[in-house]
Amino acid sequence: MLHTQAVFSLIIINKAGGLIYQREFQAGLRKLSTNDYLVLAGTFHGVHAITRSITPKIPLAPTTNSPAASPGTSTPAASSYSYPNPGASVSGLDYLESDKFRLTCFQTLTGTKFLLFTDPMTGNVETIINKIYDLYADYVMKNPFYQLEMPVRCEAFDRHLGAWLRGRT
Amino acid sequence: MSTTKASRIGEEIWKTRIDKVNAELVTLTYGTIVAQLCQDYDSDYKQVNQQLDKMGYNIGLRLIEDFLAKSGVGRCANFRDTADMIAKVGFKIFLNVAPTVTNWASDNNQFSLIFDENPLADFVELPDDGRAQDELWFSNILCGVLRGALEMVQMQIEAHFVSDVLRGDDTTEMRVSLVRYIEDEMPPEEE
Amino acid sequence: MSYYFTILSPTDTPIFNIAFGTSKGGGDGIARFRFPDTAQYMNQFIIHSSLDIVEEAQWINGGMYLKHIDTYPPAAAYISAFLTPSGARFLLLHQPPQLPSGTSSGLGSSSLLGSSASTTRASSSSVAANPTSPQTEEAVRQFMNEVYESYVKTAMSPFYKQGMEIKSPVFRTKVTGAGKKWL
Repeated sequence: MLHTQAVFSLIIINKAGGLIYQREFQAGLRKLSTNDYLVLAGTFHGVHAITRSITPKIPLAPTTNSPAASPGTSTPAASSYSYPNPGASVSGLDYLESDKFRLTCFQTLTGTKFLLFTDPMTGNVETIINKIYDLYADYVMKNPFYQLEMPVRCEAFDRHLGAWLRGRT
Repeated sequence: MSTTKASRIGEEIWKTRIDKVNAELVTLTYGTIVAQLCQDYDSDYKQVNQQLDKMGYNIGLRLIEDFLAKSGVGRCANFRDTADMIAKVGFKIFLNVAPTVTNWASDNNQFSLIFDENPLADFVELPDDGRAQDELWFSNILCGVLRGALEMVQMQIEAHFVSDVLRGDDTTEMRVSLVRYIEDEMPPEEE
Repeated sequence: MSYYFTILSPTDTPIFNIAFGTSKGGGDGIARFRFPDTAQYMNQFIIHSSLDIVEEAQWINGGMYLKHIDTYPPAAAYISAFLTPSGARFLLLHQPPQLPSGTSSGLGSSSLLGSSASTTRASSSSVAANPTSPQTEEAVRQFMNEVYESYVKTAMSPFYKQGMEIKSPVFRTKVTGAGKKWL
């Protein structure tokens, strides 16, 4: 049973590229072995790092050396390249789409990555991810017995996550 | 991001997204912890300061995710932004105080937080054994929290109190210094 | 008017003492008891001797403030009491200034009636001189409430242990302040 709000599964990867959480929300998904999930997480982590490092830079608009030239026509020195928006950090791969699913990656500033597999038609994925991050902060990070960077085995997180996703659809 | 914008964000989150608890509960809980530590360490206040810092560090490591999830703010462009974020958003949403950021070092890597009020220290009067006034930093847990939280967002800092109204000083001031930005986000051996 | 204020823990240990004089009507806030300075323990004796009455009164009167509960005529000492729910007792001894000998003999005949008779004569002056007038009761109540508030805060300090002597200079200042304000 598929509908437009479908969330297939969630993977959480710690900042070292280790798989710390994996859960399916839809019946009928093809099962991967635990090992495959670990490999998937590690591979994605690597690919994500590569996409970050290949983010292209654009030439800097001249500021002091040629005030007369209009920004579009100048040819800056080779070193003066910068990211399009220097204020924003380089995010790397944000999402990956196929005709059957969409993979959205959300990396927190601490380096944890949330990978959400959804139906390509699902809207507002960002809201869903933000809510998951909220729940993660509440029920995983604030659980004093959760060891940082270790696999998430927090029953309360499972419960609230499941309830919230069910309530949404 | 300007200080006023940070204040606005902090105010907004405080109003809409924070569960409130009774202030006395927090104050008494924290006070009891400190008093118990003083007892357990036989009034070795240097040890107590260290323990508080350690506890704070462990809180910071976890609390940062809550801060990021609730505030939704992005990476700070520089350390001055970071200072505003800490003072006007972080302290605001977790303790409902907004310390003043001041006394910047010329290289912009060191600043002071001046606390006009400190909910952890309400009702507190330090033991009058003649040493606590000089050795105990009652709210030292806050230094640890900052250290832990900033470490998670790739900043190694050092924080310590330089004065405290509990000791009879005019202000409560914490000094925060940036040691370095932690560049390699991922430990190389695990790549 | 001179005052002697004491806090007794639930186990009758004195945990705080202070002596002060009135600041009303031009008073300088310095205690001048009728005993010589070497006999200040008299205040403590008088206050402690009223504990029996406090213990009787506390079950009759529903409030925390028991008002004026005891008089010790030989020293013209009036005792007011205030109870905290946790069992601490605030006791205030007040002693009006030395009155002309005719009046003091009236006091000597004891009882509240005697004293109220004397107070009507002195009623022109401040709260201080009328230990049992409604104004005095009210002033003492305000004083007690204010001290109670400070006491709660002091007791909430994590380094204060219940039943321990209150050494806090802040508390002492607050009590002195409350005395100045109301008495």
